[in-house]
Amino acid sequence: MSKYSDELSYGFTAALAPPVRETRIGVCSAYCGGCSQLRGDVNSGCAQLQRRKFDQSGGCQLNLASGIVSSLTNVVMITHSPLGCNSRYVAMGGMRRMMRASKGKADEEFIWLHTNMGELDVVQGGIDKLRKAVLYAEKQYHPEAIIIANGCVPGIIGDDIDSLCQELADQVSAKLVPIHCEGFKSRYVASGYDSAYHGVLRFLIDPYERYDKALNHASGSRDEGEERFRFKQSRTVNLFNVGSNSNGDEVELCRVVKALGLNPRFLPLHATLDELKHIGEAALNVSVCATHDDYLLGHLKERFGTPYVIDTLPIGIKNTNIWLRKIAEFFHLEEEAERLIALETARLEEALAPIKERLKGKSVFVGGGETRILTTAEFFHSLGMKLLGVKAHNVDRFVEDILENVTDGKLFVEVAAGMPAEELNILSRLKPDLYCGHAGANGWVTRLGIPTMPLFGQTLNYMGYAGAFELARKADKVLRNTNFAKNISRNVELPLSEAWMASDVKDNIKERENA
Amino acid sequence: MSDFIERAKFSCALGGALTTIEGIPRAVPIVHAAGGCASALSGTYNLAAGYRGIGYCGGNMIPTTNIAENNVVFGGEERLEEQIEATLKALDADLYIVVSGCQVEIIGDDTVAVANRYRNRGVVGASTPGFSGNTYKGYDAVMTTLINNVIERADEKDPAAVNILGVVPGHDVFFRGNLDEIRSLLASIGVKANTFFGTGESVAAIRGYGSASLNIVLSPQAGLDSAKAFEREHGIPYVTAEIPIGPTGTEEFLRGIARALNIDGAVVDGVVARETKVYYSFLERLVDIYADLDFQRWLIVAADSYYAHALTRYLANDLGWIPFVTNIHDIEEEHAQARYDELFRDVDSRHKPLVLFERNPSELLEEVRRAWPDNHNEKYYNALSPAYVVGSVTERGLAEKLGAGFLSVAFPVSNRVILNKRIAGWNGALTLVEDLITSLVSSR
Repeated sequence: MSKYSDELSYGFTAALAPPVRETRIGVCSAYCGGCSQLRGDVNSGCAQLQRRKFDQSGGCQLNLASGIVSSLTNVVMITHSPLGCNSRYVAMGGMRRMMRASKGKADEEFIWLHTNMGELDVVQGGIDKLRKAVLYAEKQYHPEAIIIANGCVPGIIGDDIDSLCQELADQVSAKLVPIHCEGFKSRYVASGYDSAYHGVLRFLIDPYERYDKALNHASGSRDEGEERFRFKQSRTVNLFNVGSNSNGDEVELCRVVKALGLNPRFLPLHATLDELKHIGEAALNVSVCATHDDYLLGHLKERFGTPYVIDTLPIGIKNTNIWLRKIAEFFHLEEEAERLIALETARLEEALAPIKERLKGKSVFVGGGETRILTTAEFFHSLGMKLLGVKAHNVDRFVEDILENVTDGKLFVEVAAGMPAEELNILSRLKPDLYCGHAGANGWVTRLGIPTMPLFGQTLNYMGYAGAFELARKADKVLRNTNFAKNISRNVELPLSEAWMASDVKDNIKERENA
Repeated sequence: MSDFIERAKFSCALGGALTTIEGIPRAVPIVHAAGGCASALSGTYNLAAGYRGIGYCGGNMIPTTNIAENNVVFGGEERLEEQIEATLKALDADLYIVVSGCQVEIIGDDTVAVANRYRNRGVVGASTPGFSGNTYKGYDAVMTTLINNVIERADEKDPAAVNILGVVPGHDVFFRGNLDEIRSLLASIGVKANTFFGTGESVAAIRGYGSASLNIVLSPQAGLDSAKAFEREHGIPYVTAEIPIGPTGTEEFLRGIARALNIDGAVVDGVVARETKVYYSFLERLVDIYADLDFQRWLIVAADSYYAHALTRYLANDLGWIPFVTNIHDIEEEHAQARYDELFRDVDSRHKPLVLFERNPSELLEEVRRAWPDNHNEKYYNALSPAYVVGSVTERGLAEKLGAGFLSVAFPVSNRVILNKRIAGWNGALTLVEDLITSLVSSR
């Protein structure tokens, strides 16, 4: 049930590694210009061919892939690479714990290993070290799964981690999950989500098996428990969480879906392997962010026949309504949905009124992942704020609709994963009152003197009606005292040259030479 | 080559190079690697080093060639040239340092040679692929590049000037406070310390560090290669010393440096007498509550070789805690372990510490349990209590399992913010005591 993904085919899980998104979906990762022009260039395919002369560090698909699978309960992560890949885990143990605590999950210490590949391993291969690491993880921690993220070095030298996993499968009780997420393979870092879900689909989601009870079946009537199970499943909706949503977001989205009389549950982040096993026992799979999960939902439809909704991200009133209506439509609950929407919207509008009064006319720029920024920007616009532009990490088919709906065709759009140099150049001209951006960008914008608020946060609410209120409340809060950004910009030097700040960032874009 | 590591307290050589460059004011790294390496590695040291920040041009501001599969096939040197040219236009810096990642080194791009073509425009290069080693390796690669290509030859040496090596920005989460403290300690005996990363440093100043007459290496694992390069290129000898913490350590440090520089011992006597008195005038304020509530603890230290002995000796010899076990995770060679083990002879408590060299954090818990008799449900069980774990944030779980107090001091530290805090010298030791005891009274 999505015009975005229905044209896409899913049937990659027989392969060892998933295709990268450059080939699977097609993507624009370098662009500067007006919104309507971008729409044209995406359709003609030109936008997808652009690169940069001056480039800055963006993301790595290994980080995104590892972020998904390392959240699973009772797993050990092995990074098969030199020590740098996933070295940020040294700072993540506490964060993971906080997330689990906020969801009421049992406390557990996060364990990760590095195969610590060195010069000799580049020559000889690192499979022996990986074997030792797997056996150590099994013996020391007895996890339910041992997940192996493959870095660039083994990817280039050709270490065969899949054969090793097969070889060790009978020696360890943990499930072994190889994840192919070598950073150099894709500039479109969201490929990492496919890499992660490819491993999850192949090794952690078993084919759906239920056996009818012979006696009851023979007598023609199924038992009460069975009926109850089937009824429950017919109302169960899988909602797919992402690394950037908070538990508050999940509570809110569950609340509105439950209000329709449905039985929502959030997967797959932080889930136990047992919960993953039952992922097929649902009537509908609903995406929260297509950039994250179309690969998973597409394949689940193939495997279990579960239909899916891949549409907008439920941020802001309009997009939460759209998201909810799509779910309701599937269950023929349109009337109930409209009643709920009317009730929720009325209450929310009332609460937003005084905040809107204060935010009216304030200008804003939003940067980050494509779906999130466009829905967040739409919400700011609906609050009476002036939208000056957006910066998307990348642009692909999943935002075609939202781009169509942006009323101002001249709206400035930059497409870049990172590239604060371009962004600061643009912001120094646009001078928004408020910047709302992805982690990693807000600090630079603060140094420029523009007050910022984070586009997402694991402890903040953004989604659904409650999230919309929180989002407005935060914007209103940030603008009440902007001294931090002011003082920082006056006293901290930016590395950007005058010539760069005076240049037209469009000149930094070039046609790529080859793939 | 070494084995796998559980919960490694390191980044790779490229990560070490980046955190080092970020420590130098107005220096810009140019990374020849895949697009994600630079900001991820910079992020490691921002988030796990007491939020040390990303320096002048870190995080996703770092210029990167962003090579991908086609470059791995066809080579990336041309792309590097384009990126260097573009960076020189886009970013202002006093020094540009090109560093390399695994991908380009495996395919044989000569990063340093490309960088050298831009030498007259303030560009130097270092080979720092992740597989060449850990953080220390990257630190030494960048420092050696500075020593060979940036620091100017000086025929005349300043007899009272020294360079401080081995303090790796971020990997010592207190690096800037510590370096400032060491500079003022040495200034008190008439020595000018060049710190590279301390307050007031600059690329222009660093160019002149060839006139120092001595290098002081403060880490057994980082800085030795740099010191040797200094000796080779600039004829400057080196001594090794330990990061000074508290009265005992700081006195020993100053006396050692004074000896190496032929400074009159009486100068040191005066400084030590004065500063020790000041130190105890502050510590004295804690005496009553310390004694009334018995703040003496069984001590478990888990740190790298830079901090492990210095911390243990301070807490045992000066503060009077009972050193139960000290684990050093970053020394692999057996003879180096034996040499480091010798250091603990000067820990003068009646109870001598068990010194371990376990690389994997979970093995420390096992060793502790092996070394202390189990409770077999005895009515009177002599427990390892009250205990205190001084380590990194990785040891938080260990402290919880042992029911011990806990303070993170060694990398990684993600549960505290460190701005100008220090633990070096007499001042730093007082800060350390404040933090240790604060956690014991925080619920009052």
